[in-house]
Amino acid sequence: MKHYLPDPDQIPGEAQPQELPPWGETRVVGRSLSRVDGYELVSGTAVYTLDLTLPDMLHAVIVRCPHAHARVVRVETSRAEAMPGVRAVLTASTPGAEIPWYFGDDGPTSRLFDSHCRYAGEEVAAVAAETVHQAWDAARAIEVEYEVLPFVIDEAEALEADAPAVHEGGNLTEQREFARGDVEAAFAEADVVLGGTFRTPCELHAPLETFVSVARWDGDRLTVWDSTQGVFARQQELARYFRLPLTSVRVICPYVGGGFGAKLSTGKYTVIAALAARMTARPVKLAVTREDSFLSEGNRPANTIRLKAAAMRDGTLTALEGEFLGSVGAYPSGAVSPYLLLALYDCANARAATTEVYTNAGRARAFRAPAFPPCAWALEQTIDALAEEIGMDPVEFRLKNLATVLQLRDDLPYTSIGLRECIIEGAREFGWESARSRPQQDGHLRRGVGMAAGMWAYPGEPRATVFVKLFADGSVNLNMGASDIGTGTKTVMAMVVAEELGVPLEQIQIEHADTGTTQYAPASGGSQTVVVSSPAVRAAAVDVKGQLLEIAAAELERPAEGLVLRDGQVVPIDDEGAAVPLAELRGLRQRQNIVGVGRRHPHPEGKIALPFCAQFADVEVNTLTGEVRVARLLAAHDSGRVMSYLTYENQVFGGMAMGIGFGLTEDRVLDSQTGKMVNHNWHDYKIPTAKDVPLEQTCVPIDPHDTECNTTGAKGLGEPAHIPTAAAIANAVYHATGVRVHDAPITAMQMVRLLAETRGD
Amino acid sequence: MLPQFDYIRPGSLDEAVARGAGDGAVLHSGGTDLLGCLRDGVFTADTVVAIGHLAELRGIEETRDGGLRIGALSTLSEIAAHPLIAERYTVLSLGAGSAASPQLRNQGTIGGNICQRPRCWYFRGDFHCLRKGGSMCYAVAGANQYHCIFGGDRCYIVHPSDTAPALVALGARARIIGPSGTRVVPLESFFVLPAQNVRRETILEPGELVAEVLLPPPGVGLRSTYRKVRARGAWDFALAGAAAALTFSDGRVNGGRLVLSGVAPIPWRAAEAERVLIDNPLDAETIRRAVEACVADARPMPHNGYKVDLVRGVVAETLRSLA
Ligand SMILES: Cc1cc2nc3c(=O)[nH]c(=O)nc-3n(C[C@H](O)[C@H](O)[C@H](O)COP(=O)(O)OP(=O)(O)OC[C@H]3O[C@@H](n4cnc5c(N)ncnc54)[C@H](O)[C@@H]3O)c2cc1C
Repeated sequence: MKHYLPDPDQIPGEAQPQELPPWGETRVVGRSLSRVDGYELVSGTAVYTLDLTLPDMLHAVIVRCPHAHARVVRVETSRAEAMPGVRAVLTASTPGAEIPWYFGDDGPTSRLFDSHCRYAGEEVAAVAAETVHQAWDAARAIEVEYEVLPFVIDEAEALEADAPAVHEGGNLTEQREFARGDVEAAFAEADVVLGGTFRTPCELHAPLETFVSVARWDGDRLTVWDSTQGVFARQQELARYFRLPLTSVRVICPYVGGGFGAKLSTGKYTVIAALAARMTARPVKLAVTREDSFLSEGNRPANTIRLKAAAMRDGTLTALEGEFLGSVGAYPSGAVSPYLLLALYDCANARAATTEVYTNAGRARAFRAPAFPPCAWALEQTIDALAEEIGMDPVEFRLKNLATVLQLRDDLPYTSIGLRECIIEGAREFGWESARSRPQQDGHLRRGVGMAAGMWAYPGEPRATVFVKLFADGSVNLNMGASDIGTGTKTVMAMVVAEELGVPLEQIQIEHADTGTTQYAPASGGSQTVVVSSPAVRAAAVDVKGQLLEIAAAELERPAEGLVLRDGQVVPIDDEGAAVPLAELRGLRQRQNIVGVGRRHPHPEGKIALPFCAQFADVEVNTLTGEVRVARLLAAHDSGRVMSYLTYENQVFGGMAMGIGFGLTEDRVLDSQTGKMVNHNWHDYKIPTAKDVPLEQTCVPIDPHDTECNTTGAKGLGEPAHIPTAAAIANAVYHATGVRVHDAPITAMQMVRLLAETRGD
Repeated sequence: MLPQFDYIRPGSLDEAVARGAGDGAVLHSGGTDLLGCLRDGVFTADTVVAIGHLAELRGIEETRDGGLRIGALSTLSEIAAHPLIAERYTVLSLGAGSAASPQLRNQGTIGGNICQRPRCWYFRGDFHCLRKGGSMCYAVAGANQYHCIFGGDRCYIVHPSDTAPALVALGARARIIGPSGTRVVPLESFFVLPAQNVRRETILEPGELVAEVLLPPPGVGLRSTYRKVRARGAWDFALAGAAAALTFSDGRVNGGRLVLSGVAPIPWRAAEAERVLIDNPLDAETIRRAVEACVADARPMPHNGYKVDLVRGVVAETLRSLA
């Protein structure tokens, strides 16, 4: 996660460890309750940033470089400036636009409008006009003269000595090595050694709400409505770009139509909107089109992974070795990670080497479990092959080799590890054994089942402050900084408040994701939102509860310990008939409201809390056409406590649907002659449809009752839900056909060829 | 964003034809293809002539000879759901029903479907290719996995329609109205190969429009079906498909056609395979020979060799399902 989210180990510790005891039986948490904002979402009344219209608002659009690699020689804007409705034209030479651009923490590597364009889609100029159509017309009237340069889009070619340099200093961004044990000796002594080269596609982020910001200045103060995963991260970056104190930058994010990692870091469109707003003294909205967002707002880079593994006949995994190559695109980012290879299984001898390069393509962004699904694709297929080679069932082989500590970090213990249960329970619920030995029907359709395991690496950035306010009538205001990126964060947090304060969900109003009115929370990414914010919400609610019970105890003349909060009432445990509605507490009316403050406690010392999972796939392969149909999926996840059943299931099913895209359909295509993307639209870039996702999906939560990870017992879920799906499907395809598919996605195009080759056609 | 253009709604078919013949005029039925092309800058238009409201172009009804008249404005949904079409011309019902997505089928018409522009991503994208008046076909040395294996010549598009192969298979004709009158043309002669004209896909002259599609009475013993393979379950064009409309007598094929989609710049009649089928029972051996006959002339490009295997598979499956 290094390029996307702060390293929790680098965050200065706070003295207070967790104080609240773990929950016992819960009354609200864990139930299947409708989303608190479900009505707004389905009725269309939720106002997303894309829906926002401010009085006097202008619309901005961006002029992008059409070449994979070019130098801007001249930008001619006079025609555009004279067009109707045009209020501002921005280029590299516009006063105020000479902004150095940062990708991550490593110092500026570009400028807002960089005259050295390193990919097709790079920002060259922008226009703000009264209507979006006028802005587009003017953008088209801007003439840009380019010096077109040789480009490189292939990762391996980028490393060649004579490759065009994307940046001065060459195309190699980073090379890393990891090793433990003696891999050579282990390979030499092993009963079985096998391996292969796997390749995964470049995937594009496709959140339903595209990338959009609305910026407004009031004097020296900037307010930005932004479709973002983290308002506080955005506030900090905007403050840096505009050299403003943090207090002068307010970022608000009412609803987000998905982000999947691409809305973690600040896009140039946001700064362009703010700059245009400052130049025109008008609010400016900049909504990136779908086509442009595919070019420039993020991707999961293709990975090439060469893997080698060894085992003994008794089923002991003895060595793992991987070489990873990927491109970050044109600017600093992450591309590959050997984490899973080095952490999922107990393996004394392991080695990995990673190489990341620049190419003339859109910059990679965090993408749901960055680099993990590609590694799972290679690792979990290799594990499947090893199991077969030594004649062991893949479930049994995995169970025999599970890690119990985090070998990657000096055998750090886990607060809990439910991976064994995930595999065992998942296999049982799936009917693994009978499905595995199911006879094939006659004809050209072949069925098969496969499985894959996974884990996720980010424990969360342990800091967040939450306010909970109880009003005199017993209704509640929950004030938290986290964005709800569509996952149901608001619902989960409201359930935590309801759990502690005994108020119905309808009585809870939520304010969130606003740097002006809510308190710090880390960005909603890295599967950390529930993990980080729910303990803070709980602490704030408990703070309110303590104050409230004190008032009630005095009024009811009973000890506070004998009182509970339930259904909007204070209830004496031993005399339920004497219950009093909160609104009738004089002390509460006297104070009008009670405010509780909750802060996220630090992570436990010397241990790490991470989620685990195992997924199972049942597929049907048409051996005539190569079509793969996923008939059934099952996911068993140890993400700690199930905070809210429906949103939990949503994450799991959504993660698997995305896994189907990764495994079967999605693949960015760059034209080798021009370096330009040819499939940057909804139709040519193949996101799976409802018809590609099986009706039969099962979610099997495994709760290890982790009392150490945090005070709600929850671990991350959003990303693990996506990690092993494609690998499980690939293993099922192998089981069905005997064809080991090394390159994702398993399209009919590829599969029909592989089947023909296998038959010897 | 759409470019500037005039939009007119002619009061009559005659006026539509007259306006449609004007310089820079394009016809607009459902607009599902046209607006995308204009928005993506594939071509421009000075005048968009709406015809979607013209009653003469609507309706599906039986003709006196026992065939069927399908007005050009019939939507793909209407065609897919029409009981008579489903029963007598199954291949067309399946073709229409397998196109695009439900929303697009509700809006898209059959006239527009057979006149839609190709989906080649170079043609649709920011590439000045041969079909747009440029000097090269980028698919030749580029990403040609979706391109043709039959009938390519300087340009290597595939015909995008799922209804056109069915119509050709059924021996349908199009009634075309234009400035110089009406003509009725077999669908088989309606489409244009790149070798004939690299800038257009149909024989339509400026101002001509398709008024209706005429289906002959279903042959005795007709069995027909359409099978399409695509990269995902919906909202997608064919990687390859087979439209078969065969007549049987005494357990043998005695007529009909086999037409491939997704593999050639026009709906591609597998004439050699048809010859193999005629007078033979549709058994495993005939199917095997027909399958091989289908691909005998295939000329795959560097990235679409799979289409040869796919045609084999999809034709085998299609013929087996009719046996
Ligand atoms: C995302 C997407 C996926 C699709 N997938 C498929 C698919 O899988 N299979 C498939 O077959 N199709 C597919 N289509 C195409 C779709 O079916 C067609 O766009 C639709 O049928 C066209 O009908 P329309 O009435 O909207 O045509 P319009 O968009 O109005 O017109 C299309 C073209 O035909 C011309 N035209 C229209 N009517 C006439 C007429 N009567 N006479 C002469 N010229 C005319 C227009 O000038 C224009 O050039 C897809 C389209 C999209 C956008």
